[in-house]
Amino acid sequence: MFCLFQFLYGCIQQQEGLPIVLIGRDNASGTREFFWQQVMHKENFSENLREKNSNGGIYLTVVQTPGAIGYVGLSYVDSNVKLLQINNITANVTNILAGTYPIARHLYLLTKGNATEIEQEFIIFVQSNEGQAIVEEEGFVPLQVTTRYNASGKQLSGFLEISGSTTVFPIIEKIKERFMTLYPNLIITVSSTGSGAGITAVGQGTVNIAMSSRDLKEAEIDLGLVEYTIALDGIAIIVNKENSYVNNLTLSQLQAVYEGEMTNWDTL
Amino acid sequence: MKAPSLFKNNKLLKRLEERGIKITLFFSALSAVIIIFAIILFLFNEGYPIFQTVGVGEFLSGSRWNPTGEPPTYGAWSLIVGTLLITLGAMVIAIPLSLGSAIFISQIATPRMRAILKPVIELLAGIPSVVLGFFGLIVLTTWLRVTFNQSSGESWIAGSILLGIMAIPTITSVAEDAISSVPREYKEGSLALSATRWQTIKNVLVPSAVSGITAAIVLGIGRAIGETMAVMMVCGNPTYGLIPTPITNVFAPLKTLTATLGIEMGEVATGSPHYHALFGLALILLAITLVVNITATIILGRFREQRKALIKKRFTLSAEIMKKIKQTLYLGLGLVILLLLVLSLGLPLTFIIVALCFGLHYLLKKISRKTMQHLAFSFITIAIIIVIIILCIILSYIIVNGAGALNWEFLSGSTTNLGRSGGIFPAIVGTIYLIIGAIAISLPLGVGAAVYLNEYTKEGRTTKLIRAGADLLNGTPSIVFGLFGFAFFVLYLQIGFSLLAGQITLAFMILPTIIRTTDEALKSVPQNFREGSLALGATKWQTIRKVVLPPAAPGILTGAILGIGRAAGETAPIMFTAVVFSSFIPSSFFEPVNALPYHLFILTTSVPNSAQSQAGIALVLLLLVIGIYLIAILLRNRYRKTMKW
Repeated sequence: MFCLFQFLYGCIQQQEGLPIVLIGRDNASGTREFFWQQVMHKENFSENLREKNSNGGIYLTVVQTPGAIGYVGLSYVDSNVKLLQINNITANVTNILAGTYPIARHLYLLTKGNATEIEQEFIIFVQSNEGQAIVEEEGFVPLQVTTRYNASGKQLSGFLEISGSTTVFPIIEKIKERFMTLYPNLIITVSSTGSGAGITAVGQGTVNIAMSSRDLKEAEIDLGLVEYTIALDGIAIIVNKENSYVNNLTLSQLQAVYEGEMTNWDTL
Repeated sequence: MKAPSLFKNNKLLKRLEERGIKITLFFSALSAVIIIFAIILFLFNEGYPIFQTVGVGEFLSGSRWNPTGEPPTYGAWSLIVGTLLITLGAMVIAIPLSLGSAIFISQIATPRMRAILKPVIELLAGIPSVVLGFFGLIVLTTWLRVTFNQSSGESWIAGSILLGIMAIPTITSVAEDAISSVPREYKEGSLALSATRWQTIKNVLVPSAVSGITAAIVLGIGRAIGETMAVMMVCGNPTYGLIPTPITNVFAPLKTLTATLGIEMGEVATGSPHYHALFGLALILLAITLVVNITATIILGRFREQRKALIKKRFTLSAEIMKKIKQTLYLGLGLVILLLLVLSLGLPLTFIIVALCFGLHYLLKKISRKTMQHLAFSFITIAIIIVIIILCIILSYIIVNGAGALNWEFLSGSTTNLGRSGGIFPAIVGTIYLIIGAIAISLPLGVGAAVYLNEYTKEGRTTKLIRAGADLLNGTPSIVFGLFGFAFFVLYLQIGFSLLAGQITLAFMILPTIIRTTDEALKSVPQNFREGSLALGATKWQTIRKVVLPPAAPGILTGAILGIGRAAGETAPIMFTAVVFSSFIPSSFFEPVNALPYHLFILTTSVPNSAQSQAGIALVLLLLVIGIYLIAILLRNRYRKTMKW
């Protein structure tokens, strides 16, 4: 059966080395845009880049595909994949805080105009020691802060809607669980819709706070949004666990790989 | 003296009531048409700016989809080709398997086997597409990669296999109906002339049912073209859209219209050219499915007319024409296949294959009728066995992996630690809220529409229009409902992500199912029931309420349950209208909810280290949907047994 199949399609060649399978995020993703600016220098991606609509999608494909390479948020790195060094620097909290790891970015919350009392309290909580502990727990890089959150004597109630970046989502979802235990009368919903949709929604006033993993675009500046930095995130470059060809890529090699100039791991 | 005037008043009131009911029913009948127009209107409204910016021609013919590049390009051509290629592959897989299964169920199986096999194949339709995609991503793509020594298994063929699996139940059940409804005398006549069973099937039954079978295939195509979640997860999605080189390379990744919408819609900035371009894609998708469904409707319509004509004229007409059509069709198909073979394999290999085919053909002619029948029946049996094996593999994979995650806390707890340690109670409640709302809206509308069509009008232009509206709505891809819901509820009405928006969007999606099943249930109520009731002086509405609807109730219920099953498993329509990943239960219609398929989708896409939970949710969702389908199937069987007039 297999032989027949091979015979019929005639396009299966035994390949030397290990062909590179490029995995990336979709057109509308904040992560992709950041990668495109910082690594690709706005050059076009190879047309063989396979798109996933989330970090989770990239991670799963890299785990299952021997030749795959992908970029994900730092929190997705675990023992099932191999983390590559970039310019001989490992993506970890120390290097990102020191500013030596070359592909790191800020994560934001945004409100329309100045924050209302509830929004303000929530953002302060996210930026406090308590919030930043969760940032670290979820595998992101916390801000350097020393303020403790003080809830005593405050009464908050009502409804707070947050939506936006799939990357920021796990942090805020988890912080929200904690915050709601402080204020039992407060209901917060967090939805993972992507940076673009979140920014649009907060601009239209359909949600209170947007989560974003990228800077505002030109078209979005007129919305009158206020930005709050809540964490740092390194873009980790991951390959399959069994990939024995590389441990390190320079930034220009990474660009060449994603432009499709190198198509096999044995050329690296 | 007072009594007569009261009586008169009463009569007037009754007449008014009848009028009111008729008008209400008319408007519910019109709802399907109104909804389909609203969908087209809103998609067009959001999509047309892109045609102004880049022009229709360029949008359709450009082959590079790169809306965030510099400069951005909006070429939908390779996405259209991708959609068509995946669908073509799906049909190559689904048609032989489905027709084999249909023939087996209708002609070979014993009545007891049929009673089991038909529902089993229909169960395939009950597997939610996000669960199937999950299976495809983890099992199918890995198997393809290893077996065929590819660098990645996410490819055209992976998408085609999954879509083929999804189309099998549709094609099988419609084709089976068509073959079973060939008049018995045909079969008996053929057998009496000492034709074998296989000869009867091949030369009498299948040709007589050919329009019905064609319609089955076209409906299957419609199902495959509109599928989003599963395709998005397994077909690789090359970033700019890519037409494979050579075009027969089934291991090349492909990007479809639906996958592009599913992936990019969530993150796009509303109002940007990219956003309008996505609605442009949705319009193209809708146009393709409309063409497919209209074709199916026309073919089925002709099928019914032909059936009537045939019964009157006893098979004298069209044999000559059929032969001609057949010859041209075979010739064309042969040439296309030959061309493809030459292109992909070169001349010498093609020659060998053609020679082999002719040899085989000659050999087959030599075989006795009995052996031929054995051969054919074994192929047919193999087809249905393959279908059942596929079903078993998928079910057992999901059950084996998911069973470990299930326990009471997983089901009844609220979501903690991002759903990694389970707690899917809010998602279960959310799903229940969504389906209750969807059914509460669509059941009265759908039943009203069907009652109007059956009881209040003669077949004519209006009923044709309404039926066409329902058919078109039935073929509309679920992601298109999602986009429409987003444009209408979130942007136009500005009610934000809410339970209500999700319920209404789902209600629109399942409305055609309910109209169709109710329609059929009402048709099966004997006419003399109505006449008897009317003769006793009951009004029309009394007749409908007390005499027509009760015996039709089980049939209507089946439709409602099928609708519920569909609503419970869908992700695409609620993704942009109703759901958030949250562990709270909404207390009003204007708050968002969580739902099981979406919960699973978010865990697979956005939460690291949640594999155990994912498998558990996939299992719960599967059990829920299949449970609902089983109830529907059991009801139908009971109904068939008890309804004998």
